[in-house]
Amino acid sequence: MTGADGHTEDLLRELAPQVLGALVRKHGQFHLCEDATQEALLAAATQWQASGPPDNPRAWLSTVATRRLLDLMRSEVSRRDREDRVAAATPQSELLGAPADEPALDSDDSLALLFGCCHPLLPVPSQVALTLRAVGGLTTAQIAAAFGVPEATMAQRISRAKQDIKASGLDLTVPEDPERTQRLRSVLHVLYLIFNEGYATTSGDQLVVPELSREAIRLTRWLHQLVPSDSEVTGLLALMLLTDARRPARTLPDGSMVPLAEQDRGKWDRQLIAEGTALITAALPVGQPGPYQLQAAIAAVHDEAATMDDTDWQQVLSLYDLLVAIAPNPFTSLNRAVAVAMVRGPAAGLDIIAGLETDKRMARQHRLIAAKAHLLELAGDTAAAAANYREAARRTTSLPERRYLSGQAQRLGADRG
Amino acid sequence: MKYLMLIYGNQEKWASIPAEELSDGIAKQDAFNHKYRDTGELLGAYGLADEVQAKLVRREGGQPAVTDGPYLETKEYIASFYLLDCENEERALQIAADMPWADQAPVELWPILHEAKPEL
Repeated sequence: MTGADGHTEDLLRELAPQVLGALVRKHGQFHLCEDATQEALLAAATQWQASGPPDNPRAWLSTVATRRLLDLMRSEVSRRDREDRVAAATPQSELLGAPADEPALDSDDSLALLFGCCHPLLPVPSQVALTLRAVGGLTTAQIAAAFGVPEATMAQRISRAKQDIKASGLDLTVPEDPERTQRLRSVLHVLYLIFNEGYATTSGDQLVVPELSREAIRLTRWLHQLVPSDSEVTGLLALMLLTDARRPARTLPDGSMVPLAEQDRGKWDRQLIAEGTALITAALPVGQPGPYQLQAAIAAVHDEAATMDDTDWQQVLSLYDLLVAIAPNPFTSLNRAVAVAMVRGPAAGLDIIAGLETDKRMARQHRLIAAKAHLLELAGDTAAAAANYREAARRTTSLPERRYLSGQAQRLGADRG
Repeated sequence: MKYLMLIYGNQEKWASIPAEELSDGIAKQDAFNHKYRDTGELLGAYGLADEVQAKLVRREGGQPAVTDGPYLETKEYIASFYLLDCENEERALQIAADMPWADQAPVELWPILHEAKPEL
């Protein structure tokens, strides 16, 4: 939304999914509604800048987007029947603007939109791109920049996703339970991926791309308002806040990474920690905790500790035991191995890692090799630790991680000499 | 995650392809490029000029010194490269295996670790 000031941009991005959601509900045709909404947002960004936002910004956007939608439908040749249907279904009042006292938030429309963008039928990168554009209100150029791909590529990805939605005739409504809960999980997964992309970029030289994690938090906050009773949504929001709280301590000015053990905890954002801890404390006692709640609880234990040595590792380990039981995953087992090492000594942790290494794909993972290096160092085997740090550095695809791991290998090599 | 796919070859090899097969091969390659541009995973496909066009640049005493190739020890040299952006390595391997020429010559696949982004 180039040209809009911060306040206008925030307002537009908040209204974008509401306007689009309502449009899709009334007219179907997700791909056209999305184009129409984007154009209305762009028009608003320039006009509101000059003359200030109108009295009812949402109605203004709905009106402009509906008009634009009609234009788009008219321009689609041999689609006159649909045009007539829309024109007939659109009350004249709609084209003039909605009354100012219309409820500000239609949660069903917004949810339906989010569910549509995160439909399991779409490839995951497309789900992410579409969510950022249709729900997040980011422009294609902004999304392309955040992922470091050419704008034309991102435009192609989004337009393909919209074509897929159109071709499959996806039902853009909120399904009933149990499908609703299941689909909500794919929404959470997409939000988690967006956050992660911002927090630990999988490639590139910048460890932290702040825009994406901030955007993921904003969207998850919004989802939490829509479904306050879903404790996994609460858990994910808490996890993001508790993780993001460490951002100021996580990188040095030169972009290199600082691991949890060496972070200056005084730089952690206390306000985010307090908010995240309150959320997870309220969510945990409600029913069986899901994976996001457990991860948030683990993050909260770390965030509570004034120093690494003060960490309640027994508590961390109990939480990992639960997590491994409900959501088995080799990386969770790896994290658990580190917790085991902190409670029962490095040898016990290395035993678990040896078990994980029997899976060949896992054995080549730089995270496993780095964890092994760390535990070997704790066990006093400096030479093996240095060799493993070196191997982990070769296997990572993140430049800051490679710098850090090479540094660890060098440090241990120097110790010996 | 971004990946670089590299195709190697040499004039002798390309000259040995019969003309009637070549146009078919090019069409298949075009179809491949189209397919993955459409999914938003192919960022660019670039064919390189012949090795005789390649230059070697050194700096000697602060002055550029440019010499012609060839200077390669390898029998085959880079013919073209493809820049991908896809979800994970598994997907990149899948795309590489879909290269029309993959049954004749291997495709090299490298994860891209570092990207110097132009100022926006």
